[in-house]
This record gives sequence, structure tokens and C-alpha cells, in this order.
Amino acid sequence: MKKLWSAVFAVCLGGALLSGCTGGGGDAGGSADGGAASASGGSGGGSAGKVKLTAIITKHPLTQELSKMKWLQEAEDRAGVDIQWQEVTADWDQKKGALLAGGDIPDLIVGPNAITDADYAQFPGLFQDLTDLIAKDAPNVQAMFDEKPETKIIATQTDGKIYGLPKYQRFWPATATRQYINKQWLDNLGLKMPTTWDELFDVLTAFKEKDANGDGDPNDEIPMDFAPVGTLGFGYFQPTVLLGSEGITLTDGSGQGYFVEDGQIKNFLVDERYKKMVEFLNKCFAAGLINPEVFTQDYTKFQSVARGTGDKAKVGFSWGWEVTDRFGNTLAPQYASMAPLKVSADSTVPLSWDYDYNSLNYGVNMVTMSAKTKDKDAAMRFINELYDPKVSMQVLFGSLGTNIADNGDGSYKVLPPADPSMDPGTWKWTSTWADNGPMYIADSLKLTLGTDMQSVGQQTEPLMDAINSIDKNNDVLPGMFIKYSKEDNSAMSLVNTNMMNLAMAKFSQWVTKGGIDKEWDAYVDNMNKAGLPQNLKIMQKYYDDYKSKNKM
Amino acid sequence: MNAFAGKRANGEIGFHLFIALLCALIFLIVAYPLYFVVIASVSDSALVSTGQVTLFPKGFSTFGYEEIFKDARIWTGYRNTMVYTLLGTFVNLLFTLPAAYALSRPEFRARRLLMFIFVVTMFFNGGLIPTYLLMKGLHLTNTMWVFILPFSVNVFNLIITRTFFETSLPRELYEAAAIDGCSHFKFFTKVALPLSKAIVSVIGLYYLVAHWNDFFTGLIYIRSNSLQPLQIVLRDILLSNQVFSQGAGVGGDAGGYAQRYADQIKYGVIIVSTLPILLVYPFIQKYFEKGVLIGSVKG
Amino acid sequence: MTTPTVKAGAGKPNPFRSFRRHSQLWLMVLPAIVVIFVFNYVPMYGIQLAFREYDFAKGLTGGSWQGLHYFAQFIHSYMFADLMKNTAFISLATIVLGFPAPIILALILNQVRWQRGKKALQTVVYMPHFISIVVMVGLLNVLLSPNTGIVGHILQSLGYGDVNLLASTRAFVPVYVLSDIWQHCGWNSIIYLAALSTVDPQLYDSAKIDGASKWQTIGYIDFPALVPTIIILFILSMGNVLSTGFEKVFLMQNTLNLPVSEVISTYVYKIGILSNQFSYSAAIGLFNTLINFIFLFAMNAIARRVSSISLW
Repeated sequence: MKKLWSAVFAVCLGGALLSGCTGGGGDAGGSADGGAASASGGSGGGSAGKVKLTAIITKHPLTQELSKMKWLQEAEDRAGVDIQWQEVTADWDQKKGALLAGGDIPDLIVGPNAITDADYAQFPGLFQDLTDLIAKDAPNVQAMFDEKPETKIIATQTDGKIYGLPKYQRFWPATATRQYINKQWLDNLGLKMPTTWDELFDVLTAFKEKDANGDGDPNDEIPMDFAPVGTLGFGYFQPTVLLGSEGITLTDGSGQGYFVEDGQIKNFLVDERYKKMVEFLNKCFAAGLINPEVFTQDYTKFQSVARGTGDKAKVGFSWGWEVTDRFGNTLAPQYASMAPLKVSADSTVPLSWDYDYNSLNYGVNMVTMSAKTKDKDAAMRFINELYDPKVSMQVLFGSLGTNIADNGDGSYKVLPPADPSMDPGTWKWTSTWADNGPMYIADSLKLTLGTDMQSVGQQTEPLMDAINSIDKNNDVLPGMFIKYSKEDNSAMSLVNTNMMNLAMAKFSQWVTKGGIDKEWDAYVDNMNKAGLPQNLKIMQKYYDDYKSKNKM
Repeated sequence: MNAFAGKRANGEIGFHLFIALLCALIFLIVAYPLYFVVIASVSDSALVSTGQVTLFPKGFSTFGYEEIFKDARIWTGYRNTMVYTLLGTFVNLLFTLPAAYALSRPEFRARRLLMFIFVVTMFFNGGLIPTYLLMKGLHLTNTMWVFILPFSVNVFNLIITRTFFETSLPRELYEAAAIDGCSHFKFFTKVALPLSKAIVSVIGLYYLVAHWNDFFTGLIYIRSNSLQPLQIVLRDILLSNQVFSQGAGVGGDAGGYAQRYADQIKYGVIIVSTLPILLVYPFIQKYFEKGVLIGSVKG
Repeated sequence: MTTPTVKAGAGKPNPFRSFRRHSQLWLMVLPAIVVIFVFNYVPMYGIQLAFREYDFAKGLTGGSWQGLHYFAQFIHSYMFADLMKNTAFISLATIVLGFPAPIILALILNQVRWQRGKKALQTVVYMPHFISIVVMVGLLNVLLSPNTGIVGHILQSLGYGDVNLLASTRAFVPVYVLSDIWQHCGWNSIIYLAALSTVDPQLYDSAKIDGASKWQTIGYIDFPALVPTIIILFILSMGNVLSTGFEKVFLMQNTLNLPVSEVISTYVYKIGILSNQFSYSAAIGLFNTLINFIFLFAMNAIARRVSSISLW
């Protein structure tokens, strides 16, 4: 028995070691095993003579397998490469740390800010400086830099090198957040569209007390609802846009409170105007006008609630991306998008809103190359293919034929979803890389958009006056265009983490329970103790630098 | 004597009633949410999250399960997980049981030192990056062996097993055998193990479940899809349909289509990943039956 | 089976035989030693990252030596007191409530005489353990929601209509701990059930004959059978005095419970994702585990003095 045990033991150990080694041997140079090869779809016309590359893409979870994307196969063929893709849909942050520190990256990494500026600074020598390669192999990228010089600014690091390429998708609106109110309820109750905070308060009160949706129950309406506020900061579709009524221009959601006013970097979290807005929200909450679960529900629930039941609406006033996305197809016709509100009827403050044009249309570091790539020119040629506007539009909307129609005269049209039960947004995200891919949609490209994009445009109309009046040179924070040094970045993020902890907890406490008046001064004190003034100083320095360098 | 017996019987009935009540309560508290998970996995998720699904499924649809099973990776996932789990648990037991036995023998003088050295590793470790570099250096990354060899001895399980060997194997048993010239190997395989069915099944179950649920290993060390275990596939599917929980439908991912069934998938995933394990437990349970030690020590 | 009359090993010491004995034991423990040495001790040089500035170009051991700089940074940081307080409170509550629960459950289950029912109950009770954390928190959000969840409905009918269990700072820890118990109590009771299964049934019989009540049986037979396991598991749980899981707390956090729900692990995650602060998070992690280890060490020493059972 003993002998049997020892024998088994020895065999197992030996076998394990052996297989471990041979398994490892086959691993050198980027694991080509059956499953992975089929994932890349195989290049039909024989891969002899094609350069083999490895790549990772951080794709949206809805997106289908890359092997099913026709435009991608064609792009790879034209560039003479055969790419073995690893498709990551979740936990990229956790994987990335180990990957980078182990020095183990594939030839290409694709995805929105998949590798950040901080990574470039922290892992020198791991990534390839693309400057010369662009000049040599990527005329399309060069065209983008020439026609849209701001993309070159986005791409250039503090040391003057280019490690990651940006994207430009041109068609997106100037803001992500639109304001909606249920017009049918207004009509049912004989109310006018509110134009000030006080009028909004009265309308919401009417929504709450009367039977606005006409189902016989005066108590089942939720007058106001907004997107869940996270612990890391604010985001889109939240009441922070009300700060626009007080003249504050948010940029890209101003999640951590930073905004620019007349060339000065400020933070609204310690601003009196923010205090006023929170007081207003508290007044609404105390009167029962805001969804009591607004701080505990998650985004899925937030969206579900708004879809009501059948054709009975539940929410009266809210913010969202687009009306069918926010309220569903059935209820969408009941809602109308609104212009920004004034604080009070006699307010003379110029109205503003959230300026997101940059973050919606530009993207940072969409594709990065490893310094250890064997055939850099081939890799660059592939990248170049992606930046051809005709390929870019397929990156964004899907392959020619299935998703885009060629009108024959040099212009193109985005087709409605082939699956009639799907909405255009989901269809786009399922078919292709969509906003997650590197692309350059040239202003010269003639492309007719799908219904969803057109309706977003229409719904943004009421906001355009306010948005057009924004002084882009002095009231917008050019977030992605400014590159910070590693030390400054580190210091600022530490301060921001501490600040957000305090600010977000206080925000929800003050809205639900009140007390902002008593606690305001101590709060501002604490925010300053956490390091806010240092951050403002650093950001101001870089901002002034940026403006003088770009003659703004 | 009779009166005494009667009094005892009454006390016993009261006791058993009390136990029965407790158990019923426990059963309800535990079973309802589980039942909820099952019906939620086949109901319209907008109805689920607005609380309209309580006792019966509403808006019945099997979309969740369809989505899960039509993903071809599920079947590779199941297969891989089975291989990793079975092989892995075998290696775990092979390394852990003898070690626990050795550490339980009082005459083994190094045991306290060794145990201390082992316990230290439960707290202090070098972190992800050095471990990753080590795996890379050993050529274990992106192979199936990274699921089986590293960390094949879990110190917690080792401690439990050792405790069991220390306290449940009577000294007389070993002394009797030693006198007959029985070596440790022989005693271990012929006497200790057969008597320790309870602990072997428990530890085996712990290791088995740990392997089954492990998603971190695949996440960090594996690149090719064909090697991924079930948990990674399920986590992918799960998070794919939690898109909306990250908020901000920017760029047009409208909520329409997948939104309705997002939660179905969430709950369906639990069922799919748990079912096989649930089938295993009853087999293990019989080893907990009382009286496993009968007959080994007489007199 | 002969009854031994002489204690084993009491004969004249045979050095060859005792070495041979010991060599067998060494052989049996060798694979475990190798595995633990290779996979746990070899990478341990990574701990020095807590004392050194991470510099990729120079490798893990090449960065400049910072000594206790990162530890000081943490202790003096704005969040330190709150983090320690929150983390300690949550982990202690988990231990105080979560430790006895599986023991009690095992003792209860052990008394059930109806075999079929017992098996069914056992199986049901360990099932929640397999629910992944993401789903578990989602489940909590649905069931506990004041307006739409079943627990919410129950509370409303009891008159606590405006309590939002998900929102208040006072409810966070109870919800966290109780849901933890709900999820893991069954699974954790398996080990105790296994220990109870080794009790010789003859003991129960003789107890009955001696007229012991059920409670006395539990107290004098069942419980002592569990004591070694309890002691070991308790010592080990002392090693979690300052640990909370990361994922569950992170998912349950919202702006309303943030003052009590921000713990060391979530804080480390946040400073980690915002910028790759490897050294700082390594230092905090080390600080954390050091405290845990000290508690474990102390508890083990106490156990060794008070009983014969300890880890080492």
C-alpha cells in the first residue's frame, strides 16, 4: 500500500512538472492554441505571408465576438496582418496591473483609455513612441492631426512623445444630459412648462398631490428622480446641471466639482451657489417631491422605474441621455425636453449647462503599441486602416452592407437595426466596437445618421441657446487636453479621493435630512484641510500653461 | 420510575417542538430568498426590480437561460472547471492530508515551528505582482496547471484537518499499532484515513468548492478563452448585462432591449453555476453520519 | 485487537527506528512545505514594496528606499481615524455575531431526528454560500427596498414605514453582518456537524440512561466535542479582526452610508484605481495584516496557556 502511494505520488509530481514545462514551452511567443485561433476567425485567404500580431481589446459587454465583424477582417487583410484578439469585457483594472508590472503586454491594446497617461509615466520603456511610425506608415492619422490639431494635443505626453492615439467621432451632441418633463401630465393638470426653480417646485407639488397620470390614484406619481449618485463623485443625469441656472458651466459632468469661470479654476463643492442648489433639493425632498429611494437604488432600477407600467407613466421630471433610452419606447411620446431653468423669475445670471462636447467626441489613448512588437510597421499599418474615415464609420456603426448603406454617390447612410426588436443604440453596441474603438470621422465624410442620433440632436435643441453662449476659451475645463506630471497627478488624486468621501456623503445627507446651513462652514474647512487649495493651484498652473501654449 | 420517565418524556416533547419550530423558521428565512432567485430568473426583470415579483414568476421568459447557454463558451467552461476541480482537489488532498497527519503527531518535534511558518503565510504575502512574476517564471501562466499546482495547500484546511487528527484519533489506537511495528505510512493509510471519512469529505468539499468558485486565477493568469473556467464565462455574461449599473448611457446604449432581461441573467447565473455543486453535497453528507468511529476502540 | 499494557515507545530507545519514523513524517509533510515555500515565501520579497518607491524601470527591488514614509503618510492622513474605526467595527461585529451562529445551527441540526427533513434542511441552508457577491448585493437591494421589497413591506406593516435599511448609517452594519450570517452560516456549520458526527453514539445512550435532559446532553456531550474545533477556528477568526471583504462593502456602499461604510480595503481600492499607487497601497495592506497577525499571535498564546489546543 505504501509502495502504491509513493508510486502514485511520484508519477503525479513528475507528470505535473513535465507538463508544466512543455505547456510553458508552447507558451512562448503568444499562445497559439485551438480555441484562440478560432476566436480570431482565421484569415480566409491563407495566413501565409501575413504578420501575426497579438492584441487586447476592452470592449463593451454587449459587443459580439470580433470574428463576426466583417469590416475588421477586411481591415486586417488590407494591412497584411493576422491579429489574435483577447477580448476583455470585465475586470480590466485588475488584469491590467499584473499585466503591466509583469511586462507582459500584447502588441496592441485597444480601448477607451485602456492604458492611461499615468501608466505611460509609470512604465517607461514598455510602450512604443509612435511619432516616427505615424510619419512613415499612417497617413490617415497624420490627416487627423492636420485637420483637427487638438487631437495631436490629446496624444502628446509631457515628454513630447506619443504613446496612445485619440479618436474623434464628430457627430455627438454638445452635452450628455438632457432635461425632460412629462408634457402629458402638464396638460392633464392644466399647467404651464416651468421656467424657474420656483415654478418647477410648484409643478412638482401638483404632480405629487394630484392624479397626474390619470389612473385614479393621486399618490403613485414620483415627481422627480435622478441618476444614482456614486461615492466617487457626480456624473451625468444628475441635479448638478441645475448649477447652470446659477451661471456655472460644468465640463464633462464635473464629477469632482472642478469648473472654470473666467479663466479661473474653481470647485463648486465649496461654492455658495452649490449650497443654494442643495437647499433647493432639500426643500423638494422634504416635500416628498423626490423619489425616496434616489440614493439607494441602482442604475437598473432607476431606469426600470421610469418605464412605468404599460402606458402609465411614473416619473414626472428627470434627466437622461435620450427620451426613449430614459423612459422606454411606450412612454417616450409623453415627454418633452426642456431648456435650462432660471433660479427665479428676476434672475439675470446668464444660463449655462454641462459642456460635454469634448468627452463625447474625443477619446484618449484608444490604441497603444507595445515597445516589444516585432513588426512595428505592420502594426502601424493596421492602425492606419482604422483611421481611414470610411473604415472609422464602420468601427463606430458596423460593417458596410449590414449596418451602413453605400448610396453610390460617395455618401453613406446608417441603416436601422436588422433586428426590429432592438433599438439603434443597442444594435450599434452589439455589432461593432462603437465608441470604444479608435476612429477618425472626418468632417468631410458624408454620413446620414440613424434615428436615435437624430432624435438626440432634436432633443438638445432647447439647450442650445445656453450651450452656444458658453465661452469655450474661458469657461470650459479642457480636461483631456492637459497632461499632468506623474507626481502632480498622484498628489491630486489622493486629495480628490479624500475630498469625494466627505463631499458625497454630505451631499446626500443634506438633501435627505437638511442641515446644510449649520454645517456649511465646518464642511468647507474640512474640504480645505483635505487639500483642495493645493489641487486648485496645481490645476490653475497647468491650465494657464495650456492656454498660453495654444494661444487661447 | 414510571413517573420519572413520564416527566422526562414531556420535557423531551417540549424540546423537540422547540427544535422543530426553530428549524421551520430557519428554513423559511433561508429558503424564501433562494426561491426568489429561482422565480426571478424566469421573470421580466423590470417587474422584478420594482418589487412586483413575490411569490410567482411574472412576465415569464427564459431569455436569461437562453443567453447563458447559447454562449458557446459555457460548455468549454463547464468542461474546464470539471477538470480543474477534480484534478485540483485530488492534488490538494494528496498534499494536505499526509501533512496534516504528520503535524498531528506529538512526537514530531518540528511541528510547532512548521505550523508557525505555515500560518504566517495566511497573513503575509508578497502581493499580486511578485506572484505573477513567479508564475510567469515557472511557465505556469496561460496553462491549465496554474489552476492546480499553486497554493495547493490551503493552510486553513490544513489546520482543521490536523486538529481533527489530533483529537479524534484515540491514542490507544496508534499505540496498539506501533507496538505491532506499524509505520506511520501504514497507520495513516490503513487506519487513520478510513476512520477520518468525515474530515476527508469536509476538506475535500472545501477544496472542491474553492476550485469551482475560483475566478481570480483565470482572470489574472489566463489569456486564451479555451482555458477559461466556468466562473469567468459566467462573470463575463453577468457583467455584460449589468452594463447599466455603471450608469451613464453615453453614446447611445439605449436601455431598451437587454434592459428587460438584465436581472434574469443575473439570477440565472447563480442557478447555472451552483447546480452541479448541489448535486455533489448529498453524496458527501452520508459521511457525516454518526458513529463512524464505532468498533475501532473496544473495551 | 490486543489491549496494550505497556505505553508505546517505553522500551529502550532505538535511534535508527525513531529516525526512520521521523523521516516518514518529514516525507509526508514535504510536498506541503515545497508548495508553500515556492508559492508563498518566494514572492514575499514583494512586501518590501511597502518600504520602497515603486519604480518599474528598476524592477520591484530597485526603487528608492522610503522607510516608514508610506506608513506615516497613512497614519497622518485625513481618513485614518475613520477608516480604522469603520473597519474595526464591521469586522468585530462580524466575529461576535457570526462566530457563534454556525455552532448553534450545528447543535440544532444535530438534534433533528427526522432524517429526510434534516438532510433537506442541511442542503437548503448551505446553498446561499454559493451566491456570488454581486448577485447577493443585488438581492439585498431588491428585497430590502422600502417601497418594493418584501422586507420593506413587512417593515411597513409593522409600522416602521419610513425606515430605509439601505440608506441609514445605523442600518449598514447590521444589514452587512446579518446578510453575511444568512449567506455563510449554513456552510460554516458543516465543519461543526462533521465534528459532532464523530461522537460515539454510546455516549448518548449512557446519558439517556443516566436521566440527562436534552439540554444537559447538548452541554455535556455535544458541546465538548466541538471545543477543539471552536478554539482553533476562534483563534483564526482573531486574524480577521481588521479585515472586511472588499467586494461586498464596495457594492453596498452608497453616499448615505459612506461615513460608516468606508473601510481600509475600499479606500485602498480607490487610491489604487485613480493612480497606480502600488507602494502606498502595499504599505496600508501591510499595516493592516500586521495588526491582524498580532491579534492572532496573542490569542494563540492565550489558548496555549489555557487549554491544550492551539495553532502552534
